[in-house]
Amino acid sequence: KDLRLGLITPPSHIWTKAAEDFGNDLAEASDGAHTLTVFPAQQLGSEAEMMQQLQTGALDMAFLTVAEVSNRVPDFGAFYAPFLAKDISHAGRILQSDLAAKMLEDLPAKAGVVGIGYGMAGLRQIEAKGAVDSAADLKGKKLRITPFAPILDFYNLLGAAPTPMPLPAVYDALANGQVNAIDMDAEMIWKMKYYEQAETVIVSNHMMFPMVGLVSAKVWKDMSEEDRAMISELMKARLDEVVETFIVKDTEWLGMVKDAGATYKEVGPDFFGDVPAEWDKIWAEKSAVLGDMRAAADASAE
Amino acid sequence: MLHRISKAWARAEMAGAAVLAVAITGLVLLNVVTRAMSASIFWVDEAAIMSMTWMTFLAASAAVHHGHSVSVTLFTDMLPEGAAHAAQRAVDGIVLGFAALMLWLCWRWFLPLDLLRAGFDTGAFQGETFNFIYAEPTLTLGVRKFWLWLIMPLFALGVTLHAVANLTRPWNARAGAGA
Amino acid sequence: MTAALFLALLFGAVPISIVLALTALSYIWQSGNTVLFDSFAQQMFAGTENYGLLAIPLFMLTGELMNEGGMTKRLVDAARVAVGGFRGGLVWINLLANMFMAAIIGSAVSQIAVMSRAMVPSMEREGYDRGFAAATTAAGGLLAPVIPPSMLFVIYGVLAQIPIGDMFLAGIIPGLMMAGSFFVVVTLIGLSTQFPKGEWMTARAAVQAILAALPAALIPVAIIGGIVMGIATPTESAAVASLIAFLLGWLVYGELRPSQLADLFLRTARNASMVIFMVAAANVFGWVVIYEAIPQKLAALITSLTSDPFVFLLIVMGALLLVGMLIDGIAALILVTPILLPIATGHYDISPFQFGVVISINLALGLLTPPVGVGLYIAASMSDVKPVAIFAALWPFLLAVVLVLLLLCYYPILSLALLG
Ligand code: NA
Ligand code: NA
Repeated sequence: KDLRLGLITPPSHIWTKAAEDFGNDLAEASDGAHTLTVFPAQQLGSEAEMMQQLQTGALDMAFLTVAEVSNRVPDFGAFYAPFLAKDISHAGRILQSDLAAKMLEDLPAKAGVVGIGYGMAGLRQIEAKGAVDSAADLKGKKLRITPFAPILDFYNLLGAAPTPMPLPAVYDALANGQVNAIDMDAEMIWKMKYYEQAETVIVSNHMMFPMVGLVSAKVWKDMSEEDRAMISELMKARLDEVVETFIVKDTEWLGMVKDAGATYKEVGPDFFGDVPAEWDKIWAEKSAVLGDMRAAADASAE
Repeated sequence: MLHRISKAWARAEMAGAAVLAVAITGLVLLNVVTRAMSASIFWVDEAAIMSMTWMTFLAASAAVHHGHSVSVTLFTDMLPEGAAHAAQRAVDGIVLGFAALMLWLCWRWFLPLDLLRAGFDTGAFQGETFNFIYAEPTLTLGVRKFWLWLIMPLFALGVTLHAVANLTRPWNARAGAGA
Repeated sequence: MTAALFLALLFGAVPISIVLALTALSYIWQSGNTVLFDSFAQQMFAGTENYGLLAIPLFMLTGELMNEGGMTKRLVDAARVAVGGFRGGLVWINLLANMFMAAIIGSAVSQIAVMSRAMVPSMEREGYDRGFAAATTAAGGLLAPVIPPSMLFVIYGVLAQIPIGDMFLAGIIPGLMMAGSFFVVVTLIGLSTQFPKGEWMTARAAVQAILAALPAALIPVAIIGGIVMGIATPTESAAVASLIAFLLGWLVYGELRPSQLADLFLRTARNASMVIFMVAAANVFGWVVIYEAIPQKLAALITSLTSDPFVFLLIVMGALLLVGMLIDGIAALILVTPILLPIATGHYDISPFQFGVVISINLALGLLTPPVGVGLYIAASMSDVKPVAIFAALWPFLLAVVLVLLLLCYYPILSLALLG
């Protein structure tokens, strides 16, 4: 069967490469019975649109941010608990936990998709125009976020004006003043040179940013057991590889941003005062697994 | 009679579209002002975009009544009068065909009968149909997306009404209206 | 079979947006991927969910307000002060005022409509040939979609997923080149046929004209300044400009009453929707086209012919000049971008900005080429001349644009220099 996989990242991105590698693995393992066409850079639409296409079966597979999933299945919001992971390799271990694997089981009924495994991008940082000495300086700033509730709550608690915006619009918006701060990861800060537009880089590592490999549940139910096993195994392997790559690269990118001469400011949970605790109060009600998630994180903190 | 309903409906659609055009202007200006005051409101962008979407589909339906649309009339303009009328009728028929298809597509999308059968329990509906549209959230507006998507069936119904009215109008009334 | 349906519907005068939607549906049916039907209406809706598209109603509103509020005619008067006394003064005024207006208006068709009414009668009164007057005005209107703001660039930016502000920057040098080429054309024409003598304004009248136009000059300053200085997005500056235009027309010039607003917003809603609905239909069309990997197949064909980006652009230009004879401006842009852009960027490594500038100018040119040329017919009806008479005087301008286009194809830097 000729399968289609969509994702938002550009052709050169680590996620896109992983998708293409998975496609090659699949063609080889099935002796050409299955081929995969990868549609990068939102060619088939935004993440929300791709999610909708997965649900109708128009799209077979996608690598989507867990943010898009958590918009529909709030339990997944627990991955975004502030300071859940103490560093990037800890984030990788959290994604390998039994709890994370178990959460995927809810997806077919609640979102019409089958979750194969997790990948990720780097930890979240904040970049702002002008000096930022304390969290109070972020109040009222129009701050770009990926559009989903956990991060929205975080910045609302902080008193900023979170502005949802897809990645391709960020550079433009920062340049022309539509936003004056962004929530971003080290890779994009470095590669898109956002630090040229917004000079203060606050290295907070305040959230992790998982991705999930999905197959349309409609497509899945018509597949044979062997095909399902083959797809699961091959996709999962490439997703694991993504996690490993980011563990190495995230630190490298931060170093390069630092060397590029941006105002580089490392902060910890204290910087945000009682915001993380307030966030947990809100999300303990929205996500049934938040307590378990904190426990799983503590267990793998070493 | 049908033409009068079509005309009244087109008026209502255009009135709604004009109000939404005012809303777009107001919301975008609000964005400029609030950002200048460092007090940005996060749902304004999405509200402005949704106003535009509704404006577009309302006015696009009304355009079928008014005969306002961009089309290549190069060849049809060269036809003698009788053939030109026939061609115009054919276009009306094709527009009606499009409207009917849109109605059918919206039906497949919203599955109203299945929803009714599930007693408006969207969880049960999802399990039955693998259709998740009633669960889809908006990003910032705090309402379910399907409320906004309802413009599509409304649009399909509007175009159907106008297209049927156009088709059933006598020849001479058509020429006088300059459509 | 789908291609035949497309052509039959298109030339059968079916509205272009409906042609696009029906073609996409037919392709889905034919390819057997009927599962796409379930996402069809949703994709059409999604095609309008774009922040950049908000600029369209707002720029249209600004244009309407400037006309009704007496700002257009005051800007023309101010241009008269600068060049009115030269031989052929009104020709220069015409081009200069068109450059001004191009910094405010984003669409060639509306600019031609506005300027034909403002310029052609007075040129004829001073002894110019009416066809030539209308041709100069129509050519000047081509500056509107190239010098920012530009509706074509907004729509291209949305389709290409590139920053609209940067797309505007990319258009500045090409726009000035086009304006320059028009000045050369009228100079050459002036050398061969004696233009009527111009007349300088009295100092008093000149001061008055400039003072009267100063407030109106706020509008282009607000639009371009807002974008360039990073205070506002193109969309927001359009909203600010419309507010300024309303206040000026109402309070300063006294030619606009708040009671007229209802009518203005109705017109804005109607005209903006026409364009945005086409974008929505093009979005589903583009979605199906990409889903079926059509650009890849077409790319294989073209790349087998040439591997040189310049030659590729020449092929595109030739094809678009043909397309432009039958379909104009925005409608044509919406049709061709989803198919050609992936080939240009994917296989020839052409910058999407350069490509956008080239195809936009190319398709704007189509507005003035017969047999289908909306701009040509609007100029004709506004100035009461036969389209043939206009075209007879127009071709040197069109030739100049083609030469500028060749330069733009060959030297990417002309489009990219201001992007940094
Ligand atoms: Na312009
Ligand atoms: Na043409």
